[in-house]
Amino acid sequence: MDAMSRRAFAEQLALTVAAPWFIEDLPKAPAPSPQPQQQEPSALAKSLAETVRLRYPDRFTAEDLITITRSIDTRLGQIERLYATALTNADEPDFVYSVYRGAD
Amino acid sequence: MDFAFLSVVELGRLLREKKTSATELAAYFLERLERIGPRYNAVVTVTRERALAEAAQADREIRQGKWRGPLHGIPYGVKDLLATKGYPTTWGAQPYREQMIEADATVVEKLGAAGAVLVAKLAMVELAGGKGYTQANASFTGPGKTPWNPDYWSGGSSSGPGAAVAAGLVPFAIGSETSGSILTPAAYCGVTGLRPTYGLVSRHGAMALAWTMDKLGPMGRTIEDCAIVLGVIAGKDPKDPSSVARGFRMTTSRAAKFKIGVPKGADKDIQPEVAANFRQALQVLEDRVEVVEDVELPDLPYGAVAGMIIGAEGVSAFDDLLKDGRQAQLTAPEDRMGGYPALAISAADYLRALRVRRLMQRALDDFLKKFDMLAVPTRTTVASPIDKPFREAWPGFTGGANVIGPTNVVGVPGVSVPNGFGVQGLPTGLSFTTRAFDEGKLVTLGRLYQSRTDWHTRRPPTPSP
Repeated sequence: MDAMSRRAFAEQLALTVAAPWFIEDLPKAPAPSPQPQQQEPSALAKSLAETVRLRYPDRFTAEDLITITRSIDTRLGQIERLYATALTNADEPDFVYSVYRGAD
Repeated sequence: MDFAFLSVVELGRLLREKKTSATELAAYFLERLERIGPRYNAVVTVTRERALAEAAQADREIRQGKWRGPLHGIPYGVKDLLATKGYPTTWGAQPYREQMIEADATVVEKLGAAGAVLVAKLAMVELAGGKGYTQANASFTGPGKTPWNPDYWSGGSSSGPGAAVAAGLVPFAIGSETSGSILTPAAYCGVTGLRPTYGLVSRHGAMALAWTMDKLGPMGRTIEDCAIVLGVIAGKDPKDPSSVARGFRMTTSRAAKFKIGVPKGADKDIQPEVAANFRQALQVLEDRVEVVEDVELPDLPYGAVAGMIIGAEGVSAFDDLLKDGRQAQLTAPEDRMGGYPALAISAADYLRALRVRRLMQRALDDFLKKFDMLAVPTRTTVASPIDKPFREAWPGFTGGANVIGPTNVVGVPGVSVPNGFGVQGLPTGLSFTTRAFDEGKLVTLGRLYQSRTDWHTRRPPTPSP
């Protein structure tokens, strides 16, 4: 059995953060060793999780905050791939804003 | 007469030949929904009064010779994320259990105009799974159960449509897919599901999970039935700016051979029965397909883009739920915490994902141009047990090819047709995917496959009384 590449695994984890069922046909991560989740979350992830906590100060247990921090950390890991895809100033988002004018 | 497992085409024939009436069909399926539906947690609301009124109208019109088309007098159900006048629209979620939206979704309007009879609002994973559920019990109606073995999941998030069609509770249903929510329950319930191109079917009146990825589509016994329904619900809708001015008509293309790409690893390290059924299915089509093995999708960050888009759009779509704390009422414990991490997505990163997706669309279209379709097993395993987290359901099957994810990110269409059974008597699915607006190819090959096999005609075990 081929080992799952780090990239594929990171890709899967990114989808897991959004909604695990959206993983769909991505290779399944071996359950026992999700190493990226065992690493200490980055300082940025911790800071961003703190902004979430400050927004809703009474809602989270310590365990909830760990879950949130890890989710944020995993997503941050994916952002690198987004920025590795070359774009120019002319590459617009895939939506088109339409101006509105109502009836006179 | 036993109507339960007849196709739309067969029921339509009976109606035209006056061997039954719309009222008789409505009463028949209403009784089944009420009696059998709860066994599979498949039904939220049986729309009895509306159904009988619509059926009576259909009968009057048919008697007068006013024939509205192939769905006239045919009962159907909708996933309970579609607004319907006079009945709650719950989105499968406790916080919205009493929600009344006093308008019909465009899809419901179109089906009504075609004379179809709404008999039920069907169960779904709460908020279409957008909060990150990790096990089957993620709806206030309980875990969806596949009629083939109720100890196993029906799939999601269109759990009710899948189970209800499979159990003969409705002839067809409307589901929705953001990333796998039609094709997965179609495979796990042994029915046919068609995910249209993004924008081909209006989303007006449907719960939004991710505005730029949500699609509505039919689930039925046959691909022909799904094509008939798609023909009715497709088309431009001024109420949905993302809808496109294209319809859908079933064609009778007799292309000599279809070029089918099989992605690398599609049937490697997956459940052996799923892999065997996949190969057997391709063999059934052998004389009409040219199979190109080990094709590789462009190497692009599909997961990162999907995660960013679903995360950002999903948290915005339900920001009121997050703000007022009602998210804590959701059924699945993990859903109650879903969404909070997405608050940390920056606008710059979301927009980056949308800009990358534009390149992705072109790259994937260039890739898909080389083939008529891609073929993969719809899921790499059969359904998971309802009492286990998904991750622990079928350990060891780490293979398969990622097609549902990338094709949903860019919004191209796909189908799943039943292609056999695996462990525990559970069904498996064969999936085809193609370029935007090429649903006709999917239907043509799906019909060919179903004309040569009988998996779509199999019935789940009759439940004990």
